[in-house]
Amino acid sequence: MLSSNNLLKKVLPNLIQTAGAHRKPRWLPVAKSKIYRIPKRPVITEEERLELLRINNNYKTQMRAIRRFYHQDMIKQKSSRESATSEMSQRLEAEEWTRCIEINDKWNAQVATEREERRKKEIAAMEEYALARMEKKDILLREKIEKASAEIRREKELSSTFITPETLDSAIDHAIANPTDYNFAIDLKGNVYKGRDTMAAPPTEQKASATN
Amino acid sequence: MTTTVIKYVGRTTDFKGKTLWEIIGNLKNKGVGRYVIRSVFQRYPEPSFMKIVKVETCPAEERRRVRVWVEKTFRGHTLPKLNEIYRTSYKTDYQLIPKNEEKKLLSLLEQYKRSVEVLPNSIEMPPLMKKFIIKDHERKGLEPVKEFTMPITYNHSPNRIHRIAQGNEKPTVQFTMGLGKPASPSLYEGVNLN
Repeated sequence: MLSSNNLLKKVLPNLIQTAGAHRKPRWLPVAKSKIYRIPKRPVITEEERLELLRINNNYKTQMRAIRRFYHQDMIKQKSSRESATSEMSQRLEAEEWTRCIEINDKWNAQVATEREERRKKEIAAMEEYALARMEKKDILLREKIEKASAEIRREKELSSTFITPETLDSAIDHAIANPTDYNFAIDLKGNVYKGRDTMAAPPTEQKASATN
Repeated sequence: MTTTVIKYVGRTTDFKGKTLWEIIGNLKNKGVGRYVIRSVFQRYPEPSFMKIVKVETCPAEERRRVRVWVEKTFRGHTLPKLNEIYRTSYKTDYQLIPKNEEKKLLSLLEQYKRSVEVLPNSIEMPPLMKKFIIKDHERKGLEPVKEFTMPITYNHSPNRIHRIAQGNEKPTVQFTMGLGKPASPSLYEGVNLN
């Protein structure tokens, strides 16, 4: 067995002096020198035995009575103390409860005023936002109308050149008088020759860059 | 099973006899109706014996034991219920009563008939405790104590025949806080007990 004492003794042999146990450990078997030893039984006279028995019984009865007396006493004291403390604790609890309610009410009022202020601010902000949106929408609408009206004006101006039933004949005449030929040809150099029947003529415009 | 010569080795013992099975196993009808005694109980003047009523044998693992129900008489008092002997049946302390001695044993029962003891229900406090209680009550402001007695509790056993005094009944036994009446006055020769 390696106890802390033994360890200390090994580490510090001369500094520490301790009294070890005077017994062999409980789990070791009987020592070799004691195996065949037969302990003598105590011899006691009958008179002495009877007297010791009586005295010991008497002592046990007395001690039991005293122990019981103080045990009952302790139980009584404990119960009385508990009942007293329970009344006290109930009163304290009620006080604590009312105080808690007061604090709670105060907090509630404070929170209510804060909430009112916050709600007011929120509503104002919402109104502002809505007005801004409406204004923006108004501006957009006005711009759209202006754009449309400008378009209408332009169309109206253009309408003077439209071919109406009255001007149809003159327009036809004009068209016949001025035929337009959209056909053209391109040579390798990129020169454009307008007209279907246009003869090869000297190029009207030089496109030198196109060849490259 | 029976050994004629017993040679004791080692520590001395109070036991004298055989295990219960050693006795019962050899008897007709497993010894039902016979009487056995425990030798250690013979230290009392009153007769203590057991009448075998029922026997149950045990498996081979418990070969020293036997389960026996007995009508037990302890110190001249016969118990109302049957007692089972199993845990103590291995003890080599049982002796069989021969049939011709049974009558004698039963006649002893008449001779040593014990009356029921009446035990006191309260005891006087010890002197120092009295003083302490007086002081304690003064300190706590309680009313002064008049009766310096406290109740006694007893350990009960079916072997004992006693009764605790009720009310003002006069107990047959007295317990005092002092030395009391010596059981053997010869030990106190020349000593002033008062």
